Amino acid sequence: MRKANLLNGALLLPALVFLLLFFAAPLLQLFGRSVSGPDGFNTFVKLISTEVFRAILLNTIETGLSVTVTTLLIAFPIAWFLVICGERLSKLIFGIIIVSMWTSLLARLFSLSLLYKNTGPVNQLLLSMGLISAPLPMMNNSVGVLIGMFYTMLPFMVLPIYNTMSKIDPALMQAASVCGASNATIFWRVMLPLCLPGISTGCIIVFVTSMGYFIVPSVLGGAHDLMLAQFIVEQTQQFLNWAAGTAAAIYLLILTLIIYVVYTMLIGVATKREGKP
Amino acid sequence: MILSRAGNTTLRTLLGLVVFATLIFLIAPMVFVAALSFGNSRWMAFPPPSWTFRWYGQLFANEAWLAAFWASLRIGVYVVVCCMALAVPASFGLVRSRFLGKAAVDTFLSSPLFVPVIIIAIALYILMLNLGLVGSEVAFVIAHTVVALPFAMLMVTNALKGFDESIEKAAMICGASRLRAIMLVTLPSISQGLFSGALFAFVISWDEVVLSMFMAGPRMQTLPVKMWSMVRADISPEIAAVATIMLASTTILVTIAYALMPSARRAL
Repeated sequence: MRKANLLNGALLLPALVFLLLFFAAPLLQLFGRSVSGPDGFNTFVKLISTEVFRAILLNTIETGLSVTVTTLLIAFPIAWFLVICGERLSKLIFGIIIVSMWTSLLARLFSLSLLYKNTGPVNQLLLSMGLISAPLPMMNNSVGVLIGMFYTMLPFMVLPIYNTMSKIDPALMQAASVCGASNATIFWRVMLPLCLPGISTGCIIVFVTSMGYFIVPSVLGGAHDLMLAQFIVEQTQQFLNWAAGTAAAIYLLILTLIIYVVYTMLIGVATKREGKP
Repeated sequence: MILSRAGNTTLRTLLGLVVFATLIFLIAPMVFVAALSFGNSRWMAFPPPSWTFRWYGQLFANEAWLAAFWASLRIGVYVVVCCMALAVPASFGLVRSRFLGKAAVDTFLSSPLFVPVIIIAIALYILMLNLGLVGSEVAFVIAHTVVALPFAMLMVTNALKGFDESIEKAAMICGASRLRAIMLVTLPSISQGLFSGALFAFVISWDEVVLSMFMAGPRMQTLPVKMWSMVRADISPEIAAVATIMLASTTILVTIAYALMPSARRAL
């Protein structure tokens, strides 16, 4: 049995070696490249002390936050509906959401950019209905980025929230109701707290992913408010400024890691408080 | 009650409206771009004045687009082969062995999912520049395999966890060698999971933009890379046609993969 165990463990080696060579080692090399410039470690200090980079960093975090909040506000009612709507309907809606998550990203963004541009059908419809008097600028600005990111991130918020919400025992609500709690109280004091694990997982995934996005802001965003990923590409591809480009990538990586670590710690604290193993 | 099917019609109607509006928002762009691709308007007027296959004809007559199409297809197939060659043994290793640090190995194998793609792209770009491989098919295949591997692993391990190992043992008691038992009993029983893993790996490669952009050279482009450069240069109905082809192909493949996926909701 011991021998079989060892043999089975050895089956992991090819995948491990592959990822070490083509994932872990390149990431280390990236770090090496960022400090191998004439400024060494000072590259990081120099970068963060420029006004432009700080604005980009701030814009990236702001965009991440607004995308997360918007997605949460829409995803929560969707997950809720999926839990109470009956199996057949929920299967259909699930299918549409999951398939839309995997269909060609670039093709969808291309279509969004035409659909919501100033002379696009959406603006024309709103104009002809008399709801607006001038076209709403929804593309090539921060609104465009928000629309595009919401579009791509929605499934990543719906799925974890649905997963926790569908496991809540409806008898808990009934108990609260029997004890005289109103529906609003039940929602705020019982249901929402029980959904928190799913909400936090969804928020973390959406926040981290949207901060690292390159394609969405490049296709739908404006030329002036760059995001971190665009800065990285611009520096390495256009200006061949490897030190700045790789240092910015390291900043993004560190930001991502910090969020994950804080999240894992919070989850640890939460489970300890509930007295679960 | 607020969390059961019975009662509270107002709540259900309100939530249903949000869902309905969101589904329209999700689906509209796909229908819209397909309509444009069949519309007979050089400037992509909507609704189209009349219908045509002209843009598709132009596309299939264009050698650059065809070359990109075949490159995408070849790379996708190679990625599937590499992913499965790595993921199938590794899944056996994960599901059927116990050792110190297994959780760490598990986390490491799925870590490409958690690192922003742009960072993986830059890191691999530096490596491929050093190796002189930028603009080669090998570079594409390696880069796509890094990000597709965690998904393939997820599908295969899930399928393997659902397989009763005693069936394989029974085959061995009947005289089959372990390898033979795995080949003839275990793998065929989890073939749906394997197939859906392979399809997801293909779709990831087929649609990958950021990594591909960095790996591409002047003579080596995949469909998304070519589309990317066109989207930024000039917007023509031809791109709408490519977009429609991309949407249709990914939608069909993912629908099949999703239908075959064991315990679909839990896995994603």
